[in-house]
Amino acid sequence: MRQTEVLVIGGGPAGLSAALEAASLGCDVTLVDSDLALGGQLIKQTHKFFGSKEERAGTRGFKISEMLLEELHGYKDKIKVHTNCTATGYYKEDGVISCVIGEEKYFRIQAKKIVMATGAQERLLPFPKNHLPGVYGAGAVQTLMNVYGVAPGEKVIMVGAGNIGLIVSYQLMQAGVEIAGIVEAMDKIGGYWVHAAKIRRMGVPIYLRHTIKEAIGDQIVKGAVIQEINDKFQPTGTEIKIDADIICMAVGLTPTCEILWQAGCKMIYVPQLCGHVAQRDMNMRTSHPDIWVAGDAAGIEEASAAMVEGRIAGVGVAKSLGHGNASEQAKRLEDYKGRIADLRGGEVGQKICQGLKVCTVNQWEV
Amino acid sequence: MTWKRTADVVVVGGGVQGCSIAYNLAKLGVKDIVVLEKGSICSGSTGRCGAGIRAQWGTEMNCRFGLASVEKFEQLHEELGMDCGLNQSGYLMVAYKESEFQQLQKSMKLQNSLGIDTRIVSYAEAREICPGLSAADAVGFTFHNRDGHADPFLTTFAYMEAAKRLGVTFHRFTEVTDVKTVGGKIAGVVTTKGDIDAPVVVDAAGGYSQFIAKMAGVDIPNFSERHEILITEPVEAGVCPPMLMSFSGNYYIQQRPHGSIIGGCSPEGHPQDYEMGTSWDFLEMMSRTFVKLLPRTKGVRVVRQWSGLYNITPDKQPVLCEADNVRGFFLSCGYSGHGFMFAPISGELLAQKILGQDPWIAIDQLHYSRFERGDLLIEPAVV
Repeated sequence: MRQTEVLVIGGGPAGLSAALEAASLGCDVTLVDSDLALGGQLIKQTHKFFGSKEERAGTRGFKISEMLLEELHGYKDKIKVHTNCTATGYYKEDGVISCVIGEEKYFRIQAKKIVMATGAQERLLPFPKNHLPGVYGAGAVQTLMNVYGVAPGEKVIMVGAGNIGLIVSYQLMQAGVEIAGIVEAMDKIGGYWVHAAKIRRMGVPIYLRHTIKEAIGDQIVKGAVIQEINDKFQPTGTEIKIDADIICMAVGLTPTCEILWQAGCKMIYVPQLCGHVAQRDMNMRTSHPDIWVAGDAAGIEEASAAMVEGRIAGVGVAKSLGHGNASEQAKRLEDYKGRIADLRGGEVGQKICQGLKVCTVNQWEV
Repeated sequence: MTWKRTADVVVVGGGVQGCSIAYNLAKLGVKDIVVLEKGSICSGSTGRCGAGIRAQWGTEMNCRFGLASVEKFEQLHEELGMDCGLNQSGYLMVAYKESEFQQLQKSMKLQNSLGIDTRIVSYAEAREICPGLSAADAVGFTFHNRDGHADPFLTTFAYMEAAKRLGVTFHRFTEVTDVKTVGGKIAGVVTTKGDIDAPVVVDAAGGYSQFIAKMAGVDIPNFSERHEILITEPVEAGVCPPMLMSFSGNYYIQQRPHGSIIGGCSPEGHPQDYEMGTSWDFLEMMSRTFVKLLPRTKGVRVVRQWSGLYNITPDKQPVLCEADNVRGFFLSCGYSGHGFMFAPISGELLAQKILGQDPWIAIDQLHYSRFERGDLLIEPAVV
């Protein structure tokens, strides 16, 4: 059985930030990530971030990942990293986490404190033939293109006109892939106007109030039938057949929270945060005294917010372990909480704040 | 669903036992039957079980029950109009100790005398029956080809659907919070959705049956233990067609139709906390057993592990009777890990008993009074 003071599960923006923050206050940290490389979704984000300078506005996502990894290098004595390593279960009786490296090597680890930064999963829509090769999540398409340099196909139907749908469509076009159309069930575009405008200027049709009815094809995707829907989301009978070899679904994310459930953390369904999330205090501690949560696993939000949340959780963990002095902890928490409040200042942030109200407690009873 | 304040029979528990009892009662003409389930149908021990069906037992009662159930399972899909996932590839019993093999042979003689064609097989033959088997360290094997396994979900749903067609009502997410009695007779139940008055209440609450009994003022010594189980990703068919079982080896293992291999064991010290949790020591111990016994499973991933409750009696045989002190209160519980395989026969026999008929296999011995009398029917063949 391996032992560690702090186990951080997930090496994306939230997990890296939590590990760095905890280590900088003196914690010994083990960081596990199921992917081959650290950085989470940042490594495939080629777009520039918004927000303030502190949140690295104007910097592209993968560059931010590089900066975090460089910072990590400075803590190589305090942070032990396992990539290609999936946390597979939490055993409630003794708090042991089981992990598998690759497909073969299994080990157990016991931590005094755990930060769950497991990120999110893509939502997929049920429709006939959605099992065919050629049906992708937008995240998978982005990984193929931006991490591995592989174009997924020649002609794409994008489902969902939120930010991810718009950004991935634009990136596909930059890679020379044709976008046959963007299908959106709502009556307006969900993503930022600036992204949508770029795409419309390039002549891509955006079908509002439409949904995918079924995929066409026997062995692989050959196209799709989309249908118009009314304001009750019922089909009007108008259908369009579109040829394509890729159907890409960008219909949102939902927090990855299996281990939180296994650990018996109090979970609440919060639509504004896109699914079940753990109830947490102001420093991101869940109802389980040894488990913190940060990033998309705590509710779907931007990577900038995930990084600050990770920092807050890192301080929270260090504090509970008695690392660092009280005034330093308080100073950092104040700074991070101010920054995250700024990030949530806009219109999108209002929705997040509503959601957070439902699942945040001031302080757990001791 | 509309709530009716009265019923002829209330069955507490929507597992395979409750569904089988309800179906058999309806088949015998009882009109107004209500099944109450605190979760969803099949969410308790039935849906968590190892799904084995066998006639290879060590007591006469269990042999009769086992054989009768095997015969029922053989035609169940026709009777209920739905596939039950029966796989009759036999049970291969593996003995690693001389004394254990002698016990298997003793049981085999009893089984043979009751019409169960169990036989001793050589290691070579065992490997023909189970091509993936590695058990050179075993002392001996017995095999009964009509044993096997079925799908607990399909079987329970088949009983439920057949019962519904005969007019049985099912209320899910409805927990019984009290059992009403008047003058030594059953009067009905109190639930989280309302009361139901009924002259007959059946306790088929599996892991929670002792609590339901207590509500009726009936004391049974049943207790519930957590037992664990796991399932692998699919491998090719034919690795482990029969149910492999060993008492000293402490395992039962079988392959599902889609290729996944499922197995459990009974380590010492099962928690009795009603928490259906899982443990890493089980995961590791069972994984070692898998790889030793079925080398093909080396490197195969475990997809899921879970646990369920064994409702256990002092002699590991069920309680199937009417209560002495509360007329109209019937019990079908304490199957000690074998409630799924016995459900087709116990449901029929209890239905006959409820209607005042003589069950075609006598069940007097299964009254809970045997525990007080010290008249135990110890079953040696239990994992």
